Amino acid sequence: MQLPIDKLYRSLVSEAFASRRVVVALFISINLLMLVVAVIWPKGYSASAIILVEEKNIIQPLMQGAAVSTDVADRSKMVRQIVFGRKAMHQIMEDVGWTKQYPTPHDQEKLVKQLIRRTQVANIGKNFIKIEYSDVDPERSYKTAQRMAEIFIRESLEAKAEESQAAYDFIDKQTKEYKEKLQRSEEQLKDFRSANIDALPGSDVDVSARLTALQQRTEQATLELREAEVKKRSLERQLSGEAEVATVISREGQYRQRISELQGQLDHLLLSYHDTYPDVVRLRHQINDLNEAIAVEKQRRDAAKATGRIEVDDSVLNNPLYQQLRHELSLTKTLIDTLNARIREAKRQMQGELDRGRRVSGGAVTLAELTRDYQVNRDIYQDLLKRREQARVSMNLDRDKQGLTFRIYEPATLPLAPSGMRYLHFVLIGFILSVAIPVGLLFARLRFDPRVRFSAAFNARLKLPVIASVPHLWSPREISIAEHDMRVTVLAASGLVAVLVVVSVLRLTSVI
Amino acid sequence: MSKIEKALNRARGAGQLQVIQGAGKEISSPTEGDQLPMPHRLAARSPRDLEHRALSSQAIARMREPSLRSKQELAESRVIFPDRAENDTVKAMREIRTKVVQRTQGRNCVLMISSIAPGGGGSFVAFNLSVAFAFDAGQTALLVDCNLRDPSLPRLFSDMPQVGLTDYLEDPSLNVSEIIHPIGIERLRVIPAGGRRETPTEYFTSVRMRQMLDGVLDRYPERYVILDAPPMTEAADAHMLAQLSDFVLLVAPYGRVTVADVAAVVKEIPAEKVLGLVFNDEPGLPTWSWREMLKEAFAGALRMVNPLGRKTRTVT
Repeated sequence: MQLPIDKLYRSLVSEAFASRRVVVALFISINLLMLVVAVIWPKGYSASAIILVEEKNIIQPLMQGAAVSTDVADRSKMVRQIVFGRKAMHQIMEDVGWTKQYPTPHDQEKLVKQLIRRTQVANIGKNFIKIEYSDVDPERSYKTAQRMAEIFIRESLEAKAEESQAAYDFIDKQTKEYKEKLQRSEEQLKDFRSANIDALPGSDVDVSARLTALQQRTEQATLELREAEVKKRSLERQLSGEAEVATVISREGQYRQRISELQGQLDHLLLSYHDTYPDVVRLRHQINDLNEAIAVEKQRRDAAKATGRIEVDDSVLNNPLYQQLRHELSLTKTLIDTLNARIREAKRQMQGELDRGRRVSGGAVTLAELTRDYQVNRDIYQDLLKRREQARVSMNLDRDKQGLTFRIYEPATLPLAPSGMRYLHFVLIGFILSVAIPVGLLFARLRFDPRVRFSAAFNARLKLPVIASVPHLWSPREISIAEHDMRVTVLAASGLVAVLVVVSVLRLTSVI
Repeated sequence: MSKIEKALNRARGAGQLQVIQGAGKEISSPTEGDQLPMPHRLAARSPRDLEHRALSSQAIARMREPSLRSKQELAESRVIFPDRAENDTVKAMREIRTKVVQRTQGRNCVLMISSIAPGGGGSFVAFNLSVAFAFDAGQTALLVDCNLRDPSLPRLFSDMPQVGLTDYLEDPSLNVSEIIHPIGIERLRVIPAGGRRETPTEYFTSVRMRQMLDGVLDRYPERYVILDAPPMTEAADAHMLAQLSDFVLLVAPYGRVTVADVAAVVKEIPAEKVLGLVFNDEPGLPTWSWREMLKEAFAGALRMVNPLGRKTRTVT
């Protein structure tokens, strides 16, 4: 049911008045209760130290890339881990003087929990960490906060130095390991090299080129051999068909041939010239001469025939073609022999090359392996060397407190005024509560009690006319009671104010 | 009560009886009247003509009033009186009266008033409404205290006569006039619950009860009979009374009943009889002068804190 504000307000006032005694009793008792709480509440003194995290200093840009400064993401968490650690806690207890006060471990355990509860660590901005500690004793709270900050700085610097030292040690160890490995692989490579001299990089290519060349040569030679064989067979065939001795044309035959030639010339000349032309005459003479020579030759031959002597004549000669074929044949035979020898040689060489190639390829795999190992080791070793130097610089940075450093920016001071919930706060809260609680209760009753307090509810839900709303009729006696109540209320309120004032004055003058 | 007073009372009682007999044809057949549905019963009592009205005014004027109660006494008993016209409760009562008159169109009627929850102020509303009716010089009201188990009138005024409703219903020799008593408020008469209360429900079902109601209704013109019934949720009496009455007015006390409670009660009563709901006892601040109050309280506080306050003031 939504209530209009003015109606709600009126109802609240009326209800408050109707149950005025309870309201006033609540008001006064809550106020008094809070006053008592305010008086007995221990005064809290909190001291805080602010730690500056120096992230950017002059070293960093100089050492960019060469050194890695330890970075911390959540610094307050780190502070908590360090300060709330057993070691730091015990140190703090020792320093502040609690150990004597609480000698048993059980008490100390409880004390640690209490300390942790009373300590607050917060990041202020990006580079500040605030460690705040609250205690009832101002001096103790100051001491504790101060010790916490100091211990944190000391511990964190130590931790950082340790960390970078550990990093350096690790890298150094790795470097040594890799150096050994590198040396080993160098040794292996050397041994292999000396064992396989031809196992040089690229020799397999050489082998294959040579093999190809030999192959080509063999093929060439084989081809030529075939040709030579064919030629030989052909020559042999020709030789078998040719006479060893050929009858050469006789001298007579030569003369006749000459005559016919001359006769041709003569005929030719006679076409243009007379018989008396000198050339024609000369030709006739020549022909005659030749005829005479033929006659002589005939005689000489006849004479020879008559004597019966075998006339070895120039005309019987060795056949020149036969001679030439024989010559060719012998040449070809020689060539075939040569080619056969060449092919054999090439094949032998190929075999050698193949052997070598096999040897070379096996060695290359081993060599590649060894080389790769060597290269990898060398790279890592070089990298590690560089890193080791970086780590050494980082370590030196941390040792000289030059990296990410913490320093106390604002040391803890002895708190002079109590902090946290103070007397005035409690009194104010008490006052507010003493008003708010009765009003809240009344409001809750108005809001959630199903019993009807607004006549409109009947109209809305019953369709029953509400003829009139009759306000309470105050009898004189009731009025006088109410007046009396009001008087008592005013008196009680005055009394409360008086008590508050008196207690406050006493409080201010530190009597209580 | 002196002898003269008794004699006067008797004489008036006789006169009243005559009036009843003069107008009492309906009374001779009460059963028939009972059978009639309510509007008929109302219609039977036609409004009087002017002459009759004048007569009735005289009759009302002749009503014997004992010593009227003081305003102080009324205020103590939380009874309204015309002087407090500015009071919101008085205004509310007048408003209820106006609405009832509108609804009944000025005819006499029996109006039952019952609270929904026990202690819901039904008797308070009933009595003050009767008083509001009696404000008007031309109207009379008769309040019948039907809370037989826990009569309301003795709580209001300690000097109430004892003879009342139950005595009349038990004792046939008793006359109606003998149980109607003035109460010290002009034009208001009451019938107390009476001294005997054995089985209350039986009383309200009796014929004599009906006869009595009809009789008192016509005793005076412009008369409103108001039955102060016990809470509806408490006893069956209220249901019986609702059957006898013409109209029912339900009193819902502030912050004491839920809508469901009201709905349950309303379901029990014939819808045409229900006049409506009176939302009673809304809390509020008493009308007092705040400034006076504070001044007085402040002075009191000052006296308590500093008993010599007056003295110091005179010194300064």
